Amino acid sequence: MSSPNVRTTLVRVLLIQIITLAALWYVQTRYGA
Amino acid sequence: MHWVNWLVVIVYLAWVIGDSLHRSMGSKDIEGYFLANRSLPWWAVGLSVMATQLSAVTLIGTTGQGATDGLRFVQFYFGLPVAMVILGVTIVPFLHKAKVYTAYEYLERRFNPATRSLTSLLFLLSRGMSCGTIIAAPAVVFSAVLGWSLWWSVAIIGVPTVLYTVVGGVQAVTWADVKQMFVIVGSLLAIVVVLVMRLPVPLDDALHLAGAAGRLQVFDFSWDLSKTYTFWSGMLGGTFLMLSYFGTDQSQVQRYLAARSVDEARSSLLMSAYWKIPLQALVLLVGVLVFLFYSFEKPPLLWNPAHDKAARAAAGAEFAQFDARYDVAVATRREFAAAASVYRARGQEAATAAATQKFVAADLEVNAIRAEALGRTGEIVKAPTRDVNYIIPRFVIDFLPIGLAGLFLAAVLAAAMSSIAAELNSLATASVIDFYRRWFKREASDAHYLTAGKVATALWGVFACVVATYAATLGSLIEVVNRFGSFFYGSILGVFMLAMIPRARGIGAFVGLLAGMGSVAAVTFGAPQISFLWHNVIGAVVVVAVGMFLSVVIPDSKQAAAA
Repeated sequence: MSSPNVRTTLVRVLLIQIITLAALWYVQTRYGA
Repeated sequence: MHWVNWLVVIVYLAWVIGDSLHRSMGSKDIEGYFLANRSLPWWAVGLSVMATQLSAVTLIGTTGQGATDGLRFVQFYFGLPVAMVILGVTIVPFLHKAKVYTAYEYLERRFNPATRSLTSLLFLLSRGMSCGTIIAAPAVVFSAVLGWSLWWSVAIIGVPTVLYTVVGGVQAVTWADVKQMFVIVGSLLAIVVVLVMRLPVPLDDALHLAGAAGRLQVFDFSWDLSKTYTFWSGMLGGTFLMLSYFGTDQSQVQRYLAARSVDEARSSLLMSAYWKIPLQALVLLVGVLVFLFYSFEKPPLLWNPAHDKAARAAAGAEFAQFDARYDVAVATRREFAAAASVYRARGQEAATAAATQKFVAADLEVNAIRAEALGRTGEIVKAPTRDVNYIIPRFVIDFLPIGLAGLFLAAVLAAAMSSIAAELNSLATASVIDFYRRWFKREASDAHYLTAGKVATALWGVFACVVATYAATLGSLIEVVNRFGSFFYGSILGVFMLAMIPRARGIGAFVGLLAGMGSVAAVTFGAPQISFLWHNVIGAVVVVAVGMFLSVVIPDSKQAAAA
């Protein structure tokens, strides 16, 4: 497995961060009191 | 426990130890032993970084926290991806290109021997003690839940770990970490599946109950410095904490110094940036599902079986009264949990809301009775009675199918062993490279330092096991050392930040470090209401400010001599 390009990796980090926080926000607003 | 569970644990131990030793045959010199000849692939280092950070306390304590407090703890990790990106462009290339063994070694090249020795000594002091507590935390739970003696619990965690770390060095540690991450994540996913299947109501209905009981509240945007877990403390304080931990703590730095190149070292850290928050959310979700599971089952009044026995022996009548009230509250909670689901299925919104409200009220009553019982138990056993760490182990032993309980036990062992191995390996590296080779024996053969590395690993391993065995009696001492450790975490980060500023000089770094530690101590004792996540920010900022001020004001002795 080769190491991925750093810029591609940074974009992926940002995307995954946004998706994760959005998923947590969805859980909180859908099920929160 | 059933013999099949034990078989799973034994197979796991044999697999980890056997394969680690086999892979470490190539470590014939000091660079191979401590840094795997800088040859490891990024994905193995990345998994090793994650396994090191995920300790047994994460598996048994954080899941328990998910059951009692919900998902809010995940905010603690919000700064981690930011920190990883910053480290990827700052400290990682600096340290990797410097071809150092320890992060502190770099500080001597940049500043002076005093700064290197002080930072390395602070690392040895705090990590040496914390290694003991990392063994002690799961060992205490094992001994209480499985009825083992503490000595035996410490031995089953400590002996195999010390063995493969001493023999195999960083190669063994890293490849064991890779396997351990698979065991940990596999067992967590298996538990989630079992829990969802065992819920008597649809998952969606159950999650509505968890939400109503506050267990799915993630974000807290308040600017309250006394609250430990808020969005801002996670994003700002968490970023500084993660920068300190991943950027300056040898137990982490050594993982990525063993990577093949700067790019691979960066990529290994970014793996945590991708997966840490989802993984932590999964760990907490297991706790939330366990809370839901016990909303339909009767949970014990006290989760620690040893305390339960002691309390009932000393005050049986009182605890019978607690039991009577507790049974009523638990039955009410279960009744309204089921009712809410029935009403929801029928589309009766008002009735669903009313049942949910009664479920929440019953849950508060359950918690209040438990708090009372724990308070009384504390008076009897004269020890802390917080029993969050016992929730998941009790659930695993009582309810998980045969084989899966063994897999979870193997996962707890894996989590403990991966953290301990990395710490022993890094403690030995700092002892040999920053002290033995630097101050005592500067010129010796590679074979000599390799032997010294193995002896140092073994000695730290024995020390950690002894500390773990006496953790209960050393409790206050360990707390003091941990508190002391928190004084300098952010301050050491400040020194590394100074190292990247061209005008900063040795005197500024050394005095700045002392000033940073002093200011964190002053805040800890003078303003104890400020959450610890902010301490790292304060420490780092004071070191940089004082360090730069002194670097500019005090004339450089070399320049002065030349003039």
